[in-house]
Amino acid sequence: MKNISASNPAEDPAREQATKLSVYVSSSPHVHSTEDVPWIMRQVIYALIPGALVGVYFFGIPALKVIAVAVVSCVVMEVLWQKLTGNPITVKDGSAVLTGLLLAMNLPSGAPWWLVVIGSLVAIIIAKQLFGGIGNNPFNPALVGRVFLLISFPVAMTTWPEPRSFFSQAADATTGATPLGALKTAIFEHGTIAAAPGMNLMDPFLGNVGGSLGEISALALILGGIYLIARKIITWHIPVVYIATVAVFTGILWLINPEGYASPSFHLVAGGLMLGAFFMATDMVTSPITNTGKVVFAAGCGVITVVIRLWGGYPEGVSFAILIMNAFVPLINRATRPTKFGAVR
Amino acid sequence: MSFNKELIKGIWKENPVFILVLGMCPVLAVTTSAINGLGMGVATTFVLICSNIVVSIIRSYVPDRVRIPVFIVVIASFVTIVDLTMSGYFRGLYHALGLFIPLIVVNCIILGRAEAFASKKSIPLSIADAVGMGAGFTLALVMLGGVREIFGNGTIFDFSIFGSGFEPVLVMILPPGAFLTLGVLTGVFSAIEKYRSKEWRKYVSQDLGKTAVVRERL
Amino acid sequence: MKEIVKLISVLTVVCVLAGLSLSFVSDATQEARDYQDRLELLSSLNMVLPAHDNEADKDVVEVTGDTYYLAKKDGEVNGIAFITSSDKGYSGLIRVIVGVQPDGEIVSIGILEQKETPGLGSKITEDWFVDQYKGKSLENARWAVKKDSGDFEQISGATISPRAVTGAVQKGLQAYQEDKQEILGGSDVVQ
Repeated sequence: MKNISASNPAEDPAREQATKLSVYVSSSPHVHSTEDVPWIMRQVIYALIPGALVGVYFFGIPALKVIAVAVVSCVVMEVLWQKLTGNPITVKDGSAVLTGLLLAMNLPSGAPWWLVVIGSLVAIIIAKQLFGGIGNNPFNPALVGRVFLLISFPVAMTTWPEPRSFFSQAADATTGATPLGALKTAIFEHGTIAAAPGMNLMDPFLGNVGGSLGEISALALILGGIYLIARKIITWHIPVVYIATVAVFTGILWLINPEGYASPSFHLVAGGLMLGAFFMATDMVTSPITNTGKVVFAAGCGVITVVIRLWGGYPEGVSFAILIMNAFVPLINRATRPTKFGAVR
Repeated sequence: MSFNKELIKGIWKENPVFILVLGMCPVLAVTTSAINGLGMGVATTFVLICSNIVVSIIRSYVPDRVRIPVFIVVIASFVTIVDLTMSGYFRGLYHALGLFIPLIVVNCIILGRAEAFASKKSIPLSIADAVGMGAGFTLALVMLGGVREIFGNGTIFDFSIFGSGFEPVLVMILPPGAFLTLGVLTGVFSAIEKYRSKEWRKYVSQDLGKTAVVRERL
Repeated sequence: MKEIVKLISVLTVVCVLAGLSLSFVSDATQEARDYQDRLELLSSLNMVLPAHDNEADKDVVEVTGDTYYLAKKDGEVNGIAFITSSDKGYSGLIRVIVGVQPDGEIVSIGILEQKETPGLGSKITEDWFVDQYKGKSLENARWAVKKDSGDFEQISGATISPRAVTGAVQKGLQAYQEDKQEILGGSDVVQ
């Protein structure tokens, strides 16, 4: 093979293509496909658009601002870092845009611009580039950015503007609680879920609730997720097993004590479960390779999510659950390595 | 091996935190502020100097098979002395460092220097080694504590440096911030070390035009 | 055999020397440490008690396991201090010292010990938070944080720590009210 390491990537078409990960040198049979990283990233971004639009509809211009700042700052961070370290600039693969969009969808719409910029910096530089850039990060960059912000600025990160229709946005937006936050407070104060306000299922299903700007509408996220599965970008294993685990776990507790635990259907539509299950846990780089591995991974995510939601210090546990399970991915991959054809175990 | 060389090496070339990666427990746990880092560094340096002196003195009388228990007894005694003295004369610092004073006993730097250096070298060299290592450790702790205090609290040595508009990045004074800062500082340290190293200079002088090659090799 | 004896004797000598030097240092610093202990107690007592002319740390009454420090002016009790605690904080025990007038109204409180999250729960040591307990008693305040429809400010981002402090102070006040007769039994009280 030609030694391409000495050449400037911008002038060398082979190198340029290699950075897109679309060229493999391997023995036959060769499978042709138009898939490459930019195409995949574009599909995921399309799938996220319904969820983002619902966020903009209910939270108005501020939500749009958060999305714009996140995407632009993620792209700028990536270009700056790769310029500084003299690495090939890979921003055209679209992964920074996607990270920015996912980060924005995990933030409250009232987040100030500097908060979004810090989140992008952590996501792109600390969680992605320091580990070697696209394909090498063990943890989902957008989630690392989000959790960093949540721990650092708990007040700004848990101030949730009330949803209202895009056409009736007022300047003095009021703030409220998320459905899961209200549930946790009610259980803490009264020991029963009966006191929690707004326990209906339709609002969180459509998106008329407080929360991160991209997590509020279960419906829009499920539509996007189905698109991804139909396009074969992701397989059904992770979302279905993740959601099913949450449903079964909360369902058992609810059957035992319906006074103390919310119904499984509430747990499914409230909070960031749909966003996490379809878009965050399924990240190709940070999830297991084999289908068995994906099932184990998703079940772990589900159990940790429920444990944090019910007994943890935070009302929502999806981000933490996925990050914790990200750490187990190398182990899961090792344990579920398929045997070679014809090999005897 | 000259006296000066032993004195200097701990600060940069063999920095116990950034290069040897020793004594991580106090490094991560007490560096929530620059003053805590300084106090821990000074206390550790004191124990290190005393234990190096004593270990060097008794090195020819201690049979090999009991050397580790003997070193530990020596170190533990000095740590207890520091603990009692701090409790009597520096109450504020004593409370701030809390549990981590007794834990100096198990700080690998101290046993490591006793085993690797003081048990083999003369007293003056052992003192130079201890002073240098202690200074390097203290420097690292103050840097770590300083960075975390600046970002996590907006102050340095309790002096406010940002205006009231500054929103502290809380995670920096929480445990994750310790790991993050340690990782970044270690990276900076080895980047500078690489930059200074002969290899780098050789590449630059040979191939001034092809900086891309140098970058590949690094 | 000869080697074993040597090992044992070296270890013994080292340990004896270490023990001797430690007991010497312990003795030498004993006075300073006692002084610091007392200084700490006195400064926290002075913080929460009204002006007094006795040595409050030595005027002690023990009732049902709790220690009450009495402050006296011209021989009459004008304040009582006690230490109360809560394990309902975010991490570890929160110890609070409370100073009250004989009738049960709070003079002042102080946080002695807490391991709450720095920058969040740790704000319970700030003056604005501690000062809101001044002048409160079991009768004239609702003992809960505002979020739980009480009278005490919470800290945004951290309601657990203020809840724990409020609960601890309330518990202490109730214990004081119950045992009031016994505590003040033998002393003249300012009316």
